Amino acid sequence: MVKEWLTRLRFLMSPKPHREIDDEVQFHIEQLTGANIAAGMNPQEARRRAVIAFGGVESARAQSHEQRPSFFLGTLLQDVSYALRQLRKSRGFTMTAVLTLALGIGANAAIFTLVNAVLLKNLPVVDPSTLVRIGNTNECCVNWGANNGSYSLFATDDWHQLQKNAREFEELAAMQSGIGQIIARRDKTQESARSVSSEFVSGNYFRTFGLKPQIGRLFTDADNVEGAPFVAVMSYDMWQNNYAGDPSVVGSTFWINTKAVTITGIAPKGFYGDRLSSTPPDFYLPIESMPVLANAQHVHIPDRRWLYIIGRVKPGVAMAPLQAKITELVRQSFAATTIFSDEQGKRALAKVHVVLSPGGAGIQDIQDSYASKLKLLMWISGLVLLIACANIANLLLVRGMNRREEMSVRTALGAMRTRIVRQLLTESIVLSIISGMAGLIVAYVGTRMLLAMAFPGAQNVPIDARPSGVVLAFAFGISLLTGILFGVAPAWITSNANPVDALRSSGSRTTTSGASLLQRSLIVLQSALALVLLVGAGMFIQSLNKLRNIDLKLNSTNRYIIHFDPQAAGYSPAQVEALYRTIEERFHAIPGVQKVGISAYTPMEANNWGDGVQIQGQPDHHNWASWVRGNAEYFDSVGTHVLMGRGFTTQDTSTSPAVAVVNQSFVKHFFKPGENPIGRHFGSPGTQSSGDFEIVGVVEDTAYNSATSKDHRMYFIPMTQRIPESARRRPIDQDTGLYAGAIVIQTDRPMDNMQSLARQILAAINPNLSIVKFQTFDEQIADRFTQDRMITRLMTLFSILALLLATLGLYGVTAYTVARRTSEIGIRMALGANRSSVVGMIMRGAMLQTAIGLCAIGIPVAWFCVRYIQSQLYETKGMDFTVLTIATLTLTAAAATAGLIPAQRAASTNPSQALRTE
Amino acid sequence: MPATDLLQGTLDLLILRTLALEPMHGWGIAQRIQQVSKDALQIGQGSLYPALHRLEYKGWIQAEWGASENNRRAKFYSLTKNGQKQLKAELEDWGRISTAIALVLK
Repeated sequence: MVKEWLTRLRFLMSPKPHREIDDEVQFHIEQLTGANIAAGMNPQEARRRAVIAFGGVESARAQSHEQRPSFFLGTLLQDVSYALRQLRKSRGFTMTAVLTLALGIGANAAIFTLVNAVLLKNLPVVDPSTLVRIGNTNECCVNWGANNGSYSLFATDDWHQLQKNAREFEELAAMQSGIGQIIARRDKTQESARSVSSEFVSGNYFRTFGLKPQIGRLFTDADNVEGAPFVAVMSYDMWQNNYAGDPSVVGSTFWINTKAVTITGIAPKGFYGDRLSSTPPDFYLPIESMPVLANAQHVHIPDRRWLYIIGRVKPGVAMAPLQAKITELVRQSFAATTIFSDEQGKRALAKVHVVLSPGGAGIQDIQDSYASKLKLLMWISGLVLLIACANIANLLLVRGMNRREEMSVRTALGAMRTRIVRQLLTESIVLSIISGMAGLIVAYVGTRMLLAMAFPGAQNVPIDARPSGVVLAFAFGISLLTGILFGVAPAWITSNANPVDALRSSGSRTTTSGASLLQRSLIVLQSALALVLLVGAGMFIQSLNKLRNIDLKLNSTNRYIIHFDPQAAGYSPAQVEALYRTIEERFHAIPGVQKVGISAYTPMEANNWGDGVQIQGQPDHHNWASWVRGNAEYFDSVGTHVLMGRGFTTQDTSTSPAVAVVNQSFVKHFFKPGENPIGRHFGSPGTQSSGDFEIVGVVEDTAYNSATSKDHRMYFIPMTQRIPESARRRPIDQDTGLYAGAIVIQTDRPMDNMQSLARQILAAINPNLSIVKFQTFDEQIADRFTQDRMITRLMTLFSILALLLATLGLYGVTAYTVARRTSEIGIRMALGANRSSVVGMIMRGAMLQTAIGLCAIGIPVAWFCVRYIQSQLYETKGMDFTVLTIATLTLTAAAATAGLIPAQRAASTNPSQALRTE
Repeated sequence: MPATDLLQGTLDLLILRTLALEPMHGWGIAQRIQQVSKDALQIGQGSLYPALHRLEYKGWIQAEWGASENNRRAKFYSLTKNGQKQLKAELEDWGRISTAIALVLK
């Protein structure tokens, strides 16, 4: 056995020269000839007989050769080098095929990589499978009162109750739902204060996730106690990027929102918080330090729900009974609050339930908002891959048919069929591998591009741009399969043909049967798919246009929005009125500034404050509305028009009577048609509080949340006026609602230097006042369309790709047909056919396939598929005829171009030359 | 395809047996088998050479270039030690099978 292998090895190392076999066969034939001469034949006849008797020299040689142990490897090397030579020889074909496949593979790999990273990835924590989240929606920030029944957001008290009573959890961590911004500056350094993102978390937060500190220590329960010394954990990225991994950061003091906080440790490398976000937390802070550090009173108000809860369950705990138990515990905890105490509250309490969801991937905000779009993109990229494969199939078929003569000659010379097929197989595989490599590059660049599109302006999205292996393998496999199937099929067919026939009917004498049915079907399929994608892209472009043309009831021309944080700069609520006056004065001093608005937040920035609303004299319907504080020039600065009554004036101060301006939706919702809201009173539910504000004006429905949200009822109160209800309840120093969040500057011309001007002005007022975010109003609005823009761009990109591939495919087949029919065309022209009739003949053939693809498959499929993207589109129902017409015309024009080039070539055939080439 | 296997195995056995007598070239082997079998077994050249190469790669026979009877360069095959063992084993097998077949046919 060993010896046999040694022999094999020896032959592998030193393959015998081919000549040996030839010599041996030659010797045999000579002997045979000799024997024939001895039997009395003349030498020629003797040799002829001997050769006939021996049979196929080539096949004997090949078969002997096959016995060699190194045969497989040798042939492979030979085939690969032959394949490379062939591919080099036909550069056009190779380039087209590689590019087609690379784009197909690359696009798919990029999309799947994003899907993999966004939708399927777990948090980088210990044993993510045992993490369970209490709740499953992305309710956010700070809520109050009843919702539709399913709860994901909890009050601090609810968390304490759950921690005490839900013994099925080893740990139950709580975290702030809306990641916020803080101003941080390292003590005893020259660095200026910077606005960074922060998350307030429970003391067992890191323990629940099973994390070890990079250096220093993470939080303990003792850190999350009211009155404990202020501590913070810094993220690894922040530590590396801003402090070069300096170990002395641990233990040092930072001024966070002007309070001294000690850094206890650095979070482990790769940990990006409990959710995927474009602004992962730079600092983690204990919940109990939030009232002081962020002056957030809701932390200790029993009915303010603001925390997400994720826990680690003990082994063997069943989910269904646990969910029932948690629901019961949450109801008990809610029942203790006033909002759930009255008649209506009790009815709402009966509907309260929580859904447990897997917590291994953390809070799935981004996942939820991207899921449907990413799935759509997956389908689309799949279609593109299909078109790419059809294209490759077509190219290979054309090529295979063109090589019919080559194959015939080789068969006639005695090459074995398996050998020919094997060689073509190698060629296909080599092509697929080269394409795969190119696809890898496309995938890498593509993923980068997708990330930049999906999360613009975010450098530290914790998503890996490296294409996932599984995905690449899948796309690669598909293309390999296509290559093999359509590369070998023609070879098999041609090698099956009788070589004599094949050689005799030389390829140039063909008429209409130029391209096979299979080729035509592929073209039909391609045009159909391309149309579907074009229609899809058209629908998305149209929807985006509609979205952008929605009247947002605001004016963004020459408006700049400066986000700032007076609280973080150390101002107390009692000091802000003076600050706002200074800001107004200083900005107005800049030449060109027309209006200076100051408000809590601005339109189209995805912020929202809400509260319960009761109209005085009406029963409490548990209704709510969003509210915004603004100064006298706020409405003008954002371009909101006052429709009735008045807006705010400089006379609406902290000492004047409390007034409010409401929007049209508010009026529609709370008052009967025709009722005059001016002069009526409302406030948060309660006999006294419902009379808090007097309505002095009505404004139009400026869009605050999103362009598409409808009937968003809102009220506005003066920037510096205290809400009477909160004035009755707590001292002014706890009234964080008085803090402004944004300055809106309207100028009479575009001012590129506004950002630096604003920075100088704020710093001159107080060195601690820094810009949290600066954008033009237009930029802020554009940010709200990021996802819609991304998917529209990608749809367009993919459909252009599809159009390109389909056109290329049609061109290839038509050009091939023309080449095959050269002599036929020559005869026709010799017999008097003119150019235009030749062009017409070729074009008819080409356009027929496109027409079939469009009418028979494309349009019905597009019609059918529109319903699946309808939910992603804005105000679109069913197929849009304009889009369909444009898509059809585009495709027809592309097909016409693809057909026209070879048709022109056919028409310029010189009859005599065409006939001579035969 | 058991029929082919049997045939192939048989051809291998015939070659090994023929070479057990003396080293021989391909032509010689074919002639010898034809003569000995009184023209009943005609070895097709198409299968002879692949078989010889197969046996060579298995290490049962070895080849050497030498001068033929009429002084032409020819490739002479001879049995190796392994080949002798293989021949013995195959002869035993053959004996068993032919006895068995004979018993059945009787």
